[in-house]
Amino acid sequence: MALSEKDIELKIREEAKKALATGEVSCVIGWTTTRFPDKMKPFFAETEAECDELVWNKYCINGTAKYALDDRYPSKKFAIIARGCDSRAINRMLKDKQLLRENLYIIGVVCDGKENPICEECQHKNPLTYDVLIGEPVPEQIDEKRFAEVEAFEKLSPDEKYEYWAKQYDKCIHCYACRNACPACNCVECYADQYRTGWQGKASDRIQNQVYGLTRAFHVGDRCIECGECERVCPMGLPIMRQTRKMLKDINDLFGDYECGMPDDAMPVLGGYTLADPDEFM
Amino acid sequence: MKFKKTDLNEVLKTLAREYTVFAPIVENEEKKFMPWAESKDVEMEGLNTIKPPKDVLFPNVEKMYRYKMGLEGFIEEIFPEDTKRILFGIRPCDMRSIDSMDKVFLTKEYVDSYYAKRRDDATIVAFGCTEAGRTCFCESMGLNPNDAPSADVMMNVSADGEDYVLEARTEKGEELVKKLEGLITDGGEAKKDTKCSLVINKAEDLDKKLAKMFEHPIWDKVTKGCIGCGTCTFVCPTCYCFDIDSENYGAEGCKYRCWDSCMFSDYTRLAGGANPRPTKKERLRNRYMHKLSYFNERYGETLCVGCGRCVEKCPAHLDISEFIEKASAAELGKEDK
Ligand code: SF4
Ligand code: SF4
Ligand code: SF4
Ligand code: SF4
Repeated sequence: MALSEKDIELKIREEAKKALATGEVSCVIGWTTTRFPDKMKPFFAETEAECDELVWNKYCINGTAKYALDDRYPSKKFAIIARGCDSRAINRMLKDKQLLRENLYIIGVVCDGKENPICEECQHKNPLTYDVLIGEPVPEQIDEKRFAEVEAFEKLSPDEKYEYWAKQYDKCIHCYACRNACPACNCVECYADQYRTGWQGKASDRIQNQVYGLTRAFHVGDRCIECGECERVCPMGLPIMRQTRKMLKDINDLFGDYECGMPDDAMPVLGGYTLADPDEFM
Repeated sequence: MKFKKTDLNEVLKTLAREYTVFAPIVENEEKKFMPWAESKDVEMEGLNTIKPPKDVLFPNVEKMYRYKMGLEGFIEEIFPEDTKRILFGIRPCDMRSIDSMDKVFLTKEYVDSYYAKRRDDATIVAFGCTEAGRTCFCESMGLNPNDAPSADVMMNVSADGEDYVLEARTEKGEELVKKLEGLITDGGEAKKDTKCSLVINKAEDLDKKLAKMFEHPIWDKVTKGCIGCGTCTFVCPTCYCFDIDSENYGAEGCKYRCWDSCMFSDYTRLAGGANPRPTKKERLRNRYMHKLSYFNERYGETLCVGCGRCVEKCPAHLDISEFIEKASAAELGKEDK
């Protein structure tokens, strides 16, 4: 029988307490309430009492995994409440060697979707990597419409595409929320923060906003785990996941079925090279 | 004085003959202050804009001077053009934020000539809110959502909902109202009963209390979820920090200034690479302290006007109003002096 929301919440608290009790974990990263019933915020439980503040409901939306990067050399483990998307984020950060598995304690939770449009497209409701699992695994769906939006967009003329994105980037306020929320954006120092290189201008104007948007999409490349955080956090509502989806579609077309954040040892598609790689675009 | 709501377009058209009129316009799926034209879709009522109107006086990117090197080298200042402008329909919180920016850019012996020029050229028509967003807490910060005392003209919806009622409060305001002869009539009773959605418990002397709380454990807790984006600072009507940089093409180029954010890692990075605010804890502490304590110390008023924009837009759901309550209730420890 599937666990109710409340049951899962109680289990999360219980597992969180157990994790802290081992003495090996510094904090448990999950969610807690705010004054608004539809906003649950990331929360870092450090004591047994704080574990009782952890919640689980359809507004627990923010990604949890990336907070582990706040301390890349921790003296104790981070415990992370991980849904399917968070587990994929962890897997990719491990593959990118930005995190060490032994510094993580992963409390996996089967997730049947949140109040977040991206969850309708989710192909991984079951966490892929965990130390302990809460909830019974559920059957996964294949999202037939994964690239439908991109395919429709590809039909536009170059001028129409440019016009579309130019308008979008005129709204961008250059806040870097999309980068900072993204688990794929895990570089120790982002190119955009490297001052005096002249790569990224600080001004928020049409040119610099677009330079940033393009570079972000290409740098995310094969690392996008399709969590939708970039689009959710954008204060100006730019549909930027369409760009990283385009990257994924091209990768699928060129290299075969691909999803990022799987628990395997394979070299990332864009991180390795074999003689069989397609190169007609070069 | 009043004019019919249905005459709004006529009023804007009349004003637009002599001024550039920045009004709350919906375009490209976004409501923001931009120059009015007949084809534009003005939305006076409803919620406030996501982006504050501060960029009319303090643009996001402002070219300061251009130069060329070599035998024909020169340096030439780029100064804001002579444009009489009206900021039409800004909300009381945003008017109050302009009062704060005036203090920063125009007082304490240094006058920022770029800001001063734009400010001198501007006439401000404030508009009383008819609806408060769920994150609005301006009343708790000492404001009134129905009234903006320092506006040149105060405008409210009339009690019967048919008219906009005007009150000219300064010479600039009188001058503006004169242009509307024929469109405005005497009388009109303003409706001033809008209430803020959020009422928060703020300690009377929070600024002084916070001044003692630099090392308080509260900062470790409240800052953990922050992802260090610039969202809160860029949507804030009172964040006024800027950076200066240049754009060079061969031997020519220009210097510009652009908004900066104290939430960015490079904000306090020194020439040698050291950073006195190395993590989000120090950065967010600075933001909150600046809004709620440092500014009071220097200018005698709080810099957060309670517009609620950062509360609504923070991707990690950090909430300065919640912080104000927590800090107001916090016990001081022995490290807090
Ligand atoms: S969906 Fe957006 S935030 Fe999530 S991994 Fe892809 S690019 Fe990053
Ligand atoms: S989150 Fe949105 S507004 Fe901010 S930099 Fe990204 S695209 Fe621009
Ligand atoms: S407080 Fe929120 S909006 Fe501000 S930098 Fe942190 S995460 Fe971004
Ligand atoms: S700190 Fe937040 S609530 Fe206060 S004025 Fe700035 S954006 Fe508005």
